[in-house]
Amino acid sequence: MKLSITARLALLAIGLALVSSLALAGFVWQQTHDDAIGELRRDTIEQSDTFVAVFRSGGLKALDATIAGSSADDDSLVAEVVDATGHRLLGAGPEHLVARPVAEPFRIGVLGADGDWAKQESGFTIRPLGNHWLVSGRMLDDWERAQRTIERALLLAVLLAVVLGVAGGLVLTRYVSRRLDRIAGAVDAVAAGDLGRRVAVARGEGAGDAFDRLALRINGMLDRIDGLMGELRVVTDSIAHDLRSPIARLRGRAETAVTAEDPATRETALSGLIPETDLVMRMLGVLLEISRTEAATRDAFIPLDPALLIEEIADLYAPVAEEAGLAFEVTAEAPPAPVPLHRELLSQAIANLIDNAMRHAAAGGNIALLLSVKAGALRIAVADRGAGIAADDRAEALRRFGRLDSARSLPGAGLGLALAEAVARLHGGRLELGDNAPGLIATLVLPLPAAKLGA
Amino acid sequence: MTRKILIIEDDAASAAYLAKGLSEAGFATEIATNGRDGLFLASEDIFDAMVVDRMLPGLDGLSVIGGARAAGIRTPALVLSALGTVDDRVAGLHAGADDYLTKPFSFAELLARIEALLRRRERQASDVQAIRLTVGDLEIDLLGRTVTRQGRAILLGAREFNLLEFLARNAGQVITRTMMIEKIWNYHFDPGSNVVDVHMSRLRRKIEEGFATPILHTVRGAGYKLSPEA
Repeated sequence: MKLSITARLALLAIGLALVSSLALAGFVWQQTHDDAIGELRRDTIEQSDTFVAVFRSGGLKALDATIAGSSADDDSLVAEVVDATGHRLLGAGPEHLVARPVAEPFRIGVLGADGDWAKQESGFTIRPLGNHWLVSGRMLDDWERAQRTIERALLLAVLLAVVLGVAGGLVLTRYVSRRLDRIAGAVDAVAAGDLGRRVAVARGEGAGDAFDRLALRINGMLDRIDGLMGELRVVTDSIAHDLRSPIARLRGRAETAVTAEDPATRETALSGLIPETDLVMRMLGVLLEISRTEAATRDAFIPLDPALLIEEIADLYAPVAEEAGLAFEVTAEAPPAPVPLHRELLSQAIANLIDNAMRHAAAGGNIALLLSVKAGALRIAVADRGAGIAADDRAEALRRFGRLDSARSLPGAGLGLALAEAVARLHGGRLELGDNAPGLIATLVLPLPAAKLGA
Repeated sequence: MTRKILIIEDDAASAAYLAKGLSEAGFATEIATNGRDGLFLASEDIFDAMVVDRMLPGLDGLSVIGGARAAGIRTPALVLSALGTVDDRVAGLHAGADDYLTKPFSFAELLARIEALLRRRERQASDVQAIRLTVGDLEIDLLGRTVTRQGRAILLGAREFNLLEFLARNAGQVITRTMMIEKIWNYHFDPGSNVVDVHMSRLRRKIEEGFATPILHTVRGAGYKLSPEA
């Protein structure tokens, strides 16, 4: 049978309490115990064997004489013959036994019903002797009594430990399962669709235990899920919105072509279909690329010289910027050792940043492409001198289709930054948007693998 | 001799569209509608090129190409696929395809790529290492990496030289913008806007300015063509 985790936890707590108290009791017993009791037992049995032998050879009379001889100077000695009711017939010891005699090989306990015998324990044996019973033994001395007390105390301590262990186990289990239930409750609520639900985390004194840390992590994860869901919603809405205009234009042109009487008009309308289709295709392509990038593995990473990668992409774009009347500067500082990178996607991300910069750069301005290594990360920055993005709008700009309203009139699908961010995330980094005063500086921050730092 | 193209495509409408377009361009075509038939036909080794859809019933497109290659069939293969991300393309090219085109595509793009594959194969077959390419009055020295037109030296950057060499090797054929991005810059994404056009207009300025006749032509809706005739 498989026990539930709470039951196992409870058993573990009980077991631990038991083991620790047993170890402690065992230690105390081992330190205080000596063989006094064992000696008493041996003496008692030996003595009773002697009395039985005397009785066998000489009968009650000889026994009486022997007892009288050995008990004369010791009143702690028991050596008597009792009848079936426990009444003394001869010898030394209590007048009456506390109970009717039964055969006992060796026992420690209160023996007599009167005098000192009733107050203190004795070690004794009871053996049948014809119709009577022979009781022999000795009252415990101080040391032996102390031993008995310690042993009893230790036994009680062990029993107490079991009880406390069970109680502690139950309390612990209830505490743990209550804390876990609180987390599970929130997770269940989210799974059931209440995406806003979070695990309550204690604040102030005593906050920050392991459960709180777990709760914080789970809340972080739920925030991310919530964010992704929200993003997905935005994407769906935006696809509907942003694809609608090119598709509407597409439809309009197709309609014009169908209804046009004049072949030249029809020709113009038809040739306009292709760029509109291409725009839609490009938007869908980039969107697909983003979602694939977010789920991509690092299999396609190959060690590359970042400076070379920058140089290649600059080679592609520098003439384009110059044609547009923009100065294009490339600065590749301290190229580090080859770094594992996804050449295609990283190039595309940088291309998107450059494309974005060119679209927003003021005429006659410049665009700078900078490669540097700072704080264990590769930083690839694209800076322009355009209008920039207000600090409040930067998160919006990274969202898919998150083209800012002021830029809505410009061409472009508004997916470039989102792809660049996805690529940065694939490399374990992030995309930072900063102020170039004036203008925007977009930086891909890609942490370098730790092993490469020393190289 | 009519050149034969094998089309392996399960979607009947797409296959018919391809066959119609290719025969209008002067090719003979044959259609296989699943991977097994396609591999069987390809094994006959009678085709000059094959156009293979990536997603096929039975045997997928990349396996068809792999099977043909294993059987020693070197027919150039162009893969068509709706899977258009960068990694998909790279995987397709690694699997033995010679070229990769994402659906939907423009027919001009497909045609340009098929022509390029065929020419590349012919070049390999003739097995002559060209050291000099001549297109009309334009001469390209591949060893010295120099270009002259009508005897006048033209100074080109390294990338411009590569572009011109690529166009000259396919002289008279249309080269699309994406083909240039793939072959010259080795990128498999769409760099957007007019990146290739800017590079081409620079190249054109260098090889046409001061000369009477144009030699680098823009083919509307398709790409560019290096040719002494318009």
